[in-house]
Amino acid sequence: MNAQSLLQMFDANALRAVAPMLALALGLVLVLLAGVFPLGRAVRSALVVAALVASAVLHANLLLGGETPGKVLAGTFEATSTTAMWGLVFVASTLFAWLYSVRYYDEDAPFKNEHDVLMLATPIGMMLMAGARDLIVFFIGLELLSIPLYALAAFRRDRARSVEAGLKYFLLGAFAAGFFLYGTALVYATTGSLSLDMLADPAQRAALGSPMALVGVALIAASVFFKVSVFPFHLWVPDVYEGAPTPVTALMATGTKAAGFAFLMSALVLLPASTASTVALIAVITMAAGNFGALAQTDVKRMLAYSGIAHAGTLLLGVAGAIHGDPSNGGAVQASLVYMTAYVATAAGAFGLLALLERDGGPTTLESLKGLAQRRPWVAAALTLFMLSLGGIPATGGFLGKYLVFSVAVRSELTGFAILGVLLSVVALGYYLRVIIAMYMQAPEHDANVPEPRPASAAATLASITCAALVLATGILPGWLLELT
Amino acid sequence: MELVLLTFLPLLGALVVLCTPRAAEGLQRGIALATTLAVAVLGVKLFLGYGVPGADATPYSFSVPWFKLPSGYAAPTQVHFSLAMDGISLLMVTLTAVLMPIVILSTWGHVEKRVKEFMVWMLVMQTGMLGTFLAVDLVLFYFFWEVSLIPLYFLVGIWGGEQRLYATVKFFLYTLAGSLLMMIAIIAILFDRGTSDLGELITQLGSQPLEQQLWYFVAFALAFGIKVPILPFHTWLPDAHTQAPTSGSVVLAGVLLKMGTYGLLRFCIQMLPDAAVAAAPWMMALGAIGILYGALLAWAQTDLKRLIACSSVSHLGYVVLGLFALTPAGLSGGMLQMVNHGISTGLLFLLVGMIYERRHSRALDAFGGVATVMPVFALFWVFTVLSSAGLPGLNGFVGEYLILLGSFQSSPLWSVIGLTGVIFGAVYLLMATRKMLFGACTNPENQHLTDINAREIGLMIPLVVLAVWLGVRPNDFMGKVEPDLAKVHRRVAEAQQSTAALGDVTPVSEGVAAR
Repeated sequence: MNAQSLLQMFDANALRAVAPMLALALGLVLVLLAGVFPLGRAVRSALVVAALVASAVLHANLLLGGETPGKVLAGTFEATSTTAMWGLVFVASTLFAWLYSVRYYDEDAPFKNEHDVLMLATPIGMMLMAGARDLIVFFIGLELLSIPLYALAAFRRDRARSVEAGLKYFLLGAFAAGFFLYGTALVYATTGSLSLDMLADPAQRAALGSPMALVGVALIAASVFFKVSVFPFHLWVPDVYEGAPTPVTALMATGTKAAGFAFLMSALVLLPASTASTVALIAVITMAAGNFGALAQTDVKRMLAYSGIAHAGTLLLGVAGAIHGDPSNGGAVQASLVYMTAYVATAAGAFGLLALLERDGGPTTLESLKGLAQRRPWVAAALTLFMLSLGGIPATGGFLGKYLVFSVAVRSELTGFAILGVLLSVVALGYYLRVIIAMYMQAPEHDANVPEPRPASAAATLASITCAALVLATGILPGWLLELT
Repeated sequence: MELVLLTFLPLLGALVVLCTPRAAEGLQRGIALATTLAVAVLGVKLFLGYGVPGADATPYSFSVPWFKLPSGYAAPTQVHFSLAMDGISLLMVTLTAVLMPIVILSTWGHVEKRVKEFMVWMLVMQTGMLGTFLAVDLVLFYFFWEVSLIPLYFLVGIWGGEQRLYATVKFFLYTLAGSLLMMIAIIAILFDRGTSDLGELITQLGSQPLEQQLWYFVAFALAFGIKVPILPFHTWLPDAHTQAPTSGSVVLAGVLLKMGTYGLLRFCIQMLPDAAVAAAPWMMALGAIGILYGALLAWAQTDLKRLIACSSVSHLGYVVLGLFALTPAGLSGGMLQMVNHGISTGLLFLLVGMIYERRHSRALDAFGGVATVMPVFALFWVFTVLSSAGLPGLNGFVGEYLILLGSFQSSPLWSVIGLTGVIFGAVYLLMATRKMLFGACTNPENQHLTDINAREIGLMIPLVVLAVWLGVRPNDFMGKVEPDLAKVHRRVAEAQQSTAALGDVTPVSEGVAAR
């Protein structure tokens, strides 16, 4: 391939497809430059927000602006209304995480500029993952997402827990990347192709059934399962989520998970229909591992980490349904999009509020939340809303997502797994309610230890209000979201 | 439009209360009372206007498209925000509307802390309950059904007794487990039928094969059975009742439990008649055993509130027994008993609350001779106990009589077992009355109790009037329900005939054939 043909590939259509990523890349470079010059914090913040908003607008244009570019760049990348919607989810996730990070590091005086640069790089990776039609493009996206996150997880480098989190994430992530590449190599060796569309071809699908290719697919699945924290690749989650700076945790919990599931939904061709019940079983075990793990936690951040594992299990049940049924049906894609939209707003809001509370002093344990409803009524109310949404109670977005995912499972004749799943989500309420109990129904045991509430930053307030509004909007009037997806 | 106003007026009141300053407790109480009174007036107006020949029927239904829910078909299912009232929901709604101002008024005595939050949750709960009774879209029904869980969770958890956290979590998780299984059934129904409109589903599902109906029936019956609660899912109820504040107990017994029996009637019987016919012997058995077991449990209690909670299990057993007798008398009796239980048990909880506020104890042993120091209280107590035990001339008698009559027609065995419950019911209630009210007032702590005041008398009067009215002229109320119950019964009778025609003769159809 020479330079000429490369240029020809980059036609207007391709440009439109990658424009949201280019906008972010441009913003990233500008923020990096702004760090060199003695420009104020406000300018840098404005650049970050402008890059994210520009990317969101370009995505919205793809979503609402009629015909989408479809497959571009020699069929390696795809921009459809679905990837555009995923793109909006990624941007929202990054924006929320960034808004909560604005005042979070004030005591540490870290390299906030570099922090913002790294944060801006992650959604580009996510978008590549969601739109990838070629395993190598996906891998580039995965690394573009992961490497900044390794650094971000360890960003509070004077705190042992943060460094530990970064190192742990990096070591295990490196393994996962290795798995992915090895799996890709095996798939290529048996089928001679890395393109998802070519692999969907009936002749290739037969080749995918060979033992060697199956091992390859299993390795690829393992690395994606690692990223989205599915059993048995979920053990890193609690430590990393707890140790990483909370805004980074919010990004990892929402954006990474969304990108992983976006890929799983678009790479269903890799998984033969016979794997459906295995995947469903893994999903239910993941839900059990997450929910029972969370029940034992007293640190709320760690509890939410386990809850994130359970949510990955729920979504995986939808994936299993899609494998079992006709992947082109679209019901499962819509279900996972709605689920993740609601989850991004809910989990980002919940982690964000924890970040807010951490600034009052110390980790957020159930103990430290006692009596919060009296000290900070609005934070307590919002956190209650997020807990109920995580628990999937109606009038919140969490319910809609849960309903749709379980309905995919029921329609795909996985009703038994769906029933197990809903019973496990009763267990989940056991610990979500504990947070509400601490805030509303218990008084702090030692009044002296109660930290003095510090005013929330404007950015965090804005993010919290947006998250809460989104959760309620998707819960009470879900029509718009169902139309969009 | 009236129904929308009725349902959301409490929510509006809750938002207004939310905007008041925290310290303005009098204002918050006032707003809550005014809102619930307005709802009560509206409810009574709807009640009086219902079923009058030639009257305008438009106030009794409302429907707008809500959103399109993917259900597995090419075109997603249009979910409607649709509320409608028939005779069955009419009684439930009126009961809710009338009970709530009384509940709010009763909080003057026992809710002193965090009044604002309390009123907000009470009002939100009323919206949830009214919505549940009025929703005629399956998805909307589920929405209201689960939302109404949250307020009670807070009411018990914040204002409850010593063991309140245990009780409230148990209540929440128990009910949620049932609800989520119902959600799976709703998903399956939407996938199966492509509509969530209750009217259409009632027409369509009734003609589905029995096996399919049974699956739905099991899921729905489990959700409603936990809420009622039917034996063996009753263990959350005594805990929740004992720990709840008085007002919470009154709403729980008066209305929330009725959501379960209402669901049984509306969904399990009306929507799935064949399955109801097939399951009737089992449900009647559970109902009758519940009557007896609840009564025995109540007999063994030493805590007054727990005693009444167990008596609830017994009384709701009658409702289940009556409904699943699937005879006209049984259905009417079950329906009437739902209202009766709301009135009688509501009164009992109010009375226990009043004495607890004075004495700070609910242990039966702590009392004795209370009638000498609190004669007016004693009068109301005896009246309520007699109403609850089913004295002829008061409300309880009519319902229990109809239920026993109706159930005898379809299953003499369970009817007779239920009948023994009447005797035990009289035993534990009168025993508690004797221990508490009569004898010598020896305990010095009881000698200085003050009698109930005008507010407390005033808030009980409407319920006392209703108890007498229902006992003397039940047809003023049942006349509005009968046409709808007759419709339900016609469907069930058809199902019974088709079952009998298949040669699959169950005890229930035997009873019908004999007549």
